[in-house]
Amino acid sequence: MKLMHTSLPEFKLKLQSAVIKQSPNKSLEIKGIENLKHAKMQSLRTGRIEFAIQEIAEDRDIEKVEVVILPRVPETMHTVIIKGVGKDGTSKKAIIESINIIHPTEEVVLADVKEVDDRRPLIGRH
Amino acid sequence: MGKLTIRFMKQGTGPKQGLPINVAFIDKRDVEASGKNVDEAIQAVSKVVGGPVGINVFDMDAVTTTSDGLVVEGAIVTMAAGDLGKVHREFGILHMEEIQVTSELIKEEHLTQWKKYYEGRKLYRGPNPNKKLIPVHNVCITGKAVNNNSATEMMNAVTMEEILLPILGQLQIMKDGPIVFGLTGEVISVGIGMTVAEKYGRVFPSRQFRAGDTAHGCGEYAKTLKCDIPCIVVPKSVLAKCIIQALDADMVPWLHIGCSPAVLAVAIARGNEVAIDNITEKAKLELKSVGFDVDKLKPAKVAMNDEEIIERADEIIPGVVEPVMYDSSKIVTRMTLSI
Repeated sequence: MKLMHTSLPEFKLKLQSAVIKQSPNKSLEIKGIENLKHAKMQSLRTGRIEFAIQEIAEDRDIEKVEVVILPRVPETMHTVIIKGVGKDGTSKKAIIESINIIHPTEEVVLADVKEVDDRRPLIGRH
Repeated sequence: MGKLTIRFMKQGTGPKQGLPINVAFIDKRDVEASGKNVDEAIQAVSKVVGGPVGINVFDMDAVTTTSDGLVVEGAIVTMAAGDLGKVHREFGILHMEEIQVTSELIKEEHLTQWKKYYEGRKLYRGPNPNKKLIPVHNVCITGKAVNNNSATEMMNAVTMEEILLPILGQLQIMKDGPIVFGLTGEVISVGIGMTVAEKYGRVFPSRQFRAGDTAHGCGEYAKTLKCDIPCIVVPKSVLAKCIIQALDADMVPWLHIGCSPAVLAVAIARGNEVAIDNITEKAKLELKSVGFDVDKLKPAKVAMNDEEIIERADEIIPGVVEPVMYDSSKIVTRMTLSI
């Protein structure tokens, strides 16, 4: 079986490699996708993120690279499935609902950062 | 360089924990006098405040509607959220849409009040959904600061504290009048779900929940959804006047205007007709959970006159826990910024 390009595990490995390439003593922490189990990550941006990680990690003063992934649109709409599971493990009934979640925007993460280089495209462009 | 005067309330102002974020109100006329545009004025306010701030811009010559459909003087025309001196490029500012009041719109909604009292005045409620980049709710977010539901709820997304700012309370501040600071309680939690169907509404962009229905639709849970939240509201005597004005324009509760406990209480005391047949079972259930049994409703044996209702509004209109009346000058600072 061949996995799709830029599967979630591959994405994490690529980010780790971009740090290790600079120094095996430098560490990486990815925050914000802890709940994600299955995903296809955008390939084009993965390359740019690897490139950015390398750029940050090559600085001698940097010991650790943190990659924080936030929803770009700070209000996200989610499907909620309320499922009733019986003794035998089968689901008898489900109700599907919806919920919007409001998240803080990137300013919260960037509060103490001295230099910020915003390379995001405008919303609607990849 | 121009000068801009704003009404400012610092985070923590008010009883108990007070405001969860800073709040700044701006009169559109003061923006015009400063020589800058609204967006520039908002950026300047965020820069001066530094921390999380909700910013609302008002046109006090325009009119708006309350969630239960009362048409009132003064409207929010722009909402914003700022934090750390910034305003988010994409989600920091939203402008409300000027709604063209046509005869068709008057027929469909509760705007007979506009025709009777405010004809010719501009009408604003929420934004036009078609002008949004992404179909988020009527919300602005920058950093920790959240300004929600077309500027009637402000929150700190990190501490997760909130203040409810119904439009009438905000307008009192803009008029330098007295306000009531308190906790919402179960009655307001139910009441704010009793909306009217509107085009470009403050909460819903299209006609979703008509008079007599409830936007909550969750039975006994409705009274818990937004209870125990700090709020700044209008004194009940002023609210009574607004409700009486709507009833005088032949607005029938649950047919033309929403069935909030406040509207219902004034209508019963006054002996006004209430469209009981138009109420949904869901709305009945929610009203019953806060002590209004629609099936046992009876008009007052002796109708009260308007003066008496206004004078006794605090006993007639339910809602707001631990209310404290303030002269708004006690909690609002007038600040002049150089922009």
